[in-house]
Amino acid sequence: MNFDIFSMNGYGIYVWSSFLFTFLTCLFLFLKTKKTLRKLEKDFIKEAQTLSDEQLEDLKKQKVAKEILISHSRT
Amino acid sequence: MIKFLNPSYIFRLTGKLLNFLKTFVIPIVVIGLIFSLFVSPKDYIQGDAVRIMYVHVPSAWISLISFATISFLCILNFIFKFKSVSLIYKSLAPIGLTFNIIAIVTGSLWGQPTWGTWWAWDARLTSMLILMLFYIIFIFSYKLISNPERSIKACTSISVLGLVNLAIIKYSVDWWPTLHQTSSINVGKETTVHFYMLIPLGLMLFGLFMYAAVIFLMKYRIETIRLKRKGLKKL
Repeated sequence: MNFDIFSMNGYGIYVWSSFLFTFLTCLFLFLKTKKTLRKLEKDFIKEAQTLSDEQLEDLKKQKVAKEILISHSRT
Repeated sequence: MIKFLNPSYIFRLTGKLLNFLKTFVIPIVVIGLIFSLFVSPKDYIQGDAVRIMYVHVPSAWISLISFATISFLCILNFIFKFKSVSLIYKSLAPIGLTFNIIAIVTGSLWGQPTWGTWWAWDARLTSMLILMLFYIIFIFSYKLISNPERSIKACTSISVLGLVNLAIIKYSVDWWPTLHQTSSINVGKETTVHFYMLIPLGLMLFGLFMYAAVIFLMKYRIETIRLKRKGLKKL
């Protein structure tokens, strides 16, 4: 294995650290956002399930709420 | 036209766009990384340290564009009171802050081998740090102020002040003597970056923009569901 790829004439530590920091930060933000989205969708469904039939019908008339219910059932 | 402003249509569209972007973001970033780390040439002065540019510059640009967009949306919201606009700027702000932090950290990692210091209180670096503070204050202002009217006013004030800082960031390298170099990529003027370096830069910019779009769409869905949950309690 060519060590030059990693050492980059002594600049490797700075270059790899920069790319690694960027990658890890982006990964953290993605995973955190995904987790929050999943949790909110689940909570929304849970709260919708506690509604009476009449309230649930009212909810389904709201297009965005209906979309949330549909999109969660797809995943 | 009305169809495009319909919240349920937008919500459905964010779902479709998310699936589309998620498919392409990883291959584009991987190609960009290969070009940035292995294919692109070294700089004749900076050597391999120049490769940091491929994450530093796109991050700084995304951070600046995000804040400019937030400011424009805040002004729009302040004047016309569009409900969905606040969802957009609330979704954009954490992304802008993240890329601002990446730009500062990678800039510092670039500064050490090229300038011999991790940090200097020069105009470009300091104004980027001030942008980070603007982002933090902006996020706190919409999270902590519960009154919508006051929240809009606070957000608009902060973002307008931040716009002044954006101009300072842009022209700081021309107005003051700074460690940071002047712009190498200019629209309508001569670009001093070699074509072989522009390819990975373009790829990384495109890849990180797509990543930012993925996060934005997920955040937009989060903000929409939060809003709907409040409505759920009123049923």
